[in-house]
Amino acid sequence: MSAVPTSSARASLVSRRIGWTAIAVLALLLAMLLSLAIGSRQIAPSAVFDALLHGGGSDAAEVVRSMRLPRTVVGVMVGAALAMAGTVMQGITRNPIADPGILGISQGASVAVVVLAIAYASVHTLTGYVWFAFAGAGVAAVLMYAIAARGRGGATPVKLALAGAAINALLVSVTMAVLTTKAAALDEFRFWQVGSLSGRDVEVASQIWPFLLVGVVLVASVARGLDALALGEDVARGLGQNVATVRIVGGLGAAVLTGVGVAAAGPIAFVGLAVPHIARAVVGTDHRWVLPMAALIGPVMLLVSATVGRIVFPPSEVPAGVMTSLIGVPFLVALVRRKAVAA
Amino acid sequence: MRPGVRPAGYALVRAGRGAFLLHRRATVVAGVLAVLLAAVCVLYLSVGESFVPPGEVVRVLAGQPSPDRLVVETLRLPRMTLGLLVGAAFGVAGALIQTVARNPLTSPDIIGVTQGASALTVGAMTYSVTSYAVLPYLSIAGGIAAAALVYVFAWRGGLHAARFVLIGIGFAIALRSMMQLFLTKGDYLVAQQAQVWMTGSLNGRGWDEANPLTLALLVLLLCVMWAARAQRSVALDDDTATALGVRLGRVRLGLVLLGVVLAALATGAAGPVDFVALLAPQIAPRMTRTAQIPLLCSALLGAFIVVTADLLARKLFAPTELPVGVLTAAIGAPYLIWLIIRSRTGGKA
Repeated sequence: MSAVPTSSARASLVSRRIGWTAIAVLALLLAMLLSLAIGSRQIAPSAVFDALLHGGGSDAAEVVRSMRLPRTVVGVMVGAALAMAGTVMQGITRNPIADPGILGISQGASVAVVVLAIAYASVHTLTGYVWFAFAGAGVAAVLMYAIAARGRGGATPVKLALAGAAINALLVSVTMAVLTTKAAALDEFRFWQVGSLSGRDVEVASQIWPFLLVGVVLVASVARGLDALALGEDVARGLGQNVATVRIVGGLGAAVLTGVGVAAAGPIAFVGLAVPHIARAVVGTDHRWVLPMAALIGPVMLLVSATVGRIVFPPSEVPAGVMTSLIGVPFLVALVRRKAVAA
Repeated sequence: MRPGVRPAGYALVRAGRGAFLLHRRATVVAGVLAVLLAAVCVLYLSVGESFVPPGEVVRVLAGQPSPDRLVVETLRLPRMTLGLLVGAAFGVAGALIQTVARNPLTSPDIIGVTQGASALTVGAMTYSVTSYAVLPYLSIAGGIAAAALVYVFAWRGGLHAARFVLIGIGFAIALRSMMQLFLTKGDYLVAQQAQVWMTGSLNGRGWDEANPLTLALLVLLLCVMWAARAQRSVALDDDTATALGVRLGRVRLGLVLLGVVLAALATGAAGPVDFVALLAPQIAPRMTRTAQIPLLCSALLGAFIVVTADLLARKLFAPTELPVGVLTAAIGAPYLIWLIIRSRTGGKA
């Protein structure tokens, strides 16, 4: 990086990035602690540490270890997966409102799970779900981009969002057609559809981590390519990047990550929209920094949403998917108003 | 009037002392649509678990004694009437909103109006409000509230169509997730009922649902006659309209409000029957080849689409009945996709 004017400016950028990363790590630890401590019964942080470090057979320790720890771990994984998927999608489409939820990709994954796995193939295990979720996410992503990129003007934000809405409507109609004829699937579907972390056990985490790892590797491998792509397709080509490869590998990674998130927690929207913007605001546009940052902030948003959802209407709980939507829409509105997203 | 003054394609009709211009092609199209609609309606009434010959259906409708009176009049007629009304309401609503926004994408089911109406209605249903005297008002309130919110947030020194659509889509997503939340709150039976309602269904609807809607729509019909006049002035460019003394802001607001109320009302009665409000006003002007969206034709077309779709929904997987919204979405979503692919200016439109 010889283009950087002075070494002190570069040093300050690096120290700023490291500083923000440290803050994000702290925020993540705090969010995890809150997620472990707050629920239908409050457990003091000290008791949480006690339960985690020393075991113990008290009720509180049991609750923390068997219920709250799994859902927190799953929350961290799903949040990181969705946030990174959103970052990559925004990078590939060069479009500030890309998000697995808005673009209908989560819906694709979720419909594949519900319709193919639950209703027809009678698959009820998570490892079974995951493959269907990947396939659904991939097909929906390809379809969506193919639709939006056609015609003059290319893939503008409005066209992407509309293509997402259209695919969403089509998929929902297919799902409904299946669910009306298979009543038993509806009961499983309505709880899963909303996107939630509750009731996820250790099994889930241990099953999705290999897939998450694959997604992360794929996405990380195109970080430089995404930086180049941000300068425009022609410039990226001039810099020696194979644009098509970057798009395909990145898209594959995003589809895998979305599939992981959807299979584990159902379609959770807006995490992938808001987090990349926050990450870019604090560490700049370098994807080698933005991606890890997103992976740190994503879980914070998801865990905090889930925790808030648990305490607003006790004893019942607002699912995390609803909470992220309610947080995410004002964010989208602000984004659309502030920037010249239109056009 | 000298023949040269009369615009091409229009016929001059004199009735007593009044005289008005009638678009020839639009009149013919409306006539053809009405005949088609009548044919589908008779077919609708005769097809079902037991087949009633069309001749018998006509006899029942004419009020003559018939052994099939119960099946036709009590079981099938209310549901068909509701379908007709809902379809016509969506058709007009879409036509009005699309006229003002000059953009096919600002259909009430894309910008969150039907989702707002649905969210409030499903919410009420899960808290065991099932009275059909209350639910329509709730859906109107929900629809108007959603439209107003989207409007307020999209307003920034003017209304940009792309911004409006984007924010509308965002709100639609949020409202849908609210709906999902309500679904998980209710017990299983309520959930199933609400889920079917949410896709838009005419199944098992009787006069109880059709009556309030009929009344409300008759009242709104008077407003639509005003709208047909106002629509013409809105279609002019802003300067000309203002110079002619049209209060553009007010007229636009009135038209949109009317459209939103119609869409919300129809949603309240039958659930969100998606994409009828997008399709009908898009196809109608292509048939009549008029610059404006013809209200009568889109109403007829909307009714035709819904009744036909419901007929198919009943028969396609018999004995299981699909919600009619599944079919309209299956037709409408590909059309929306085609619109997106074809759109020339991408963002602005």
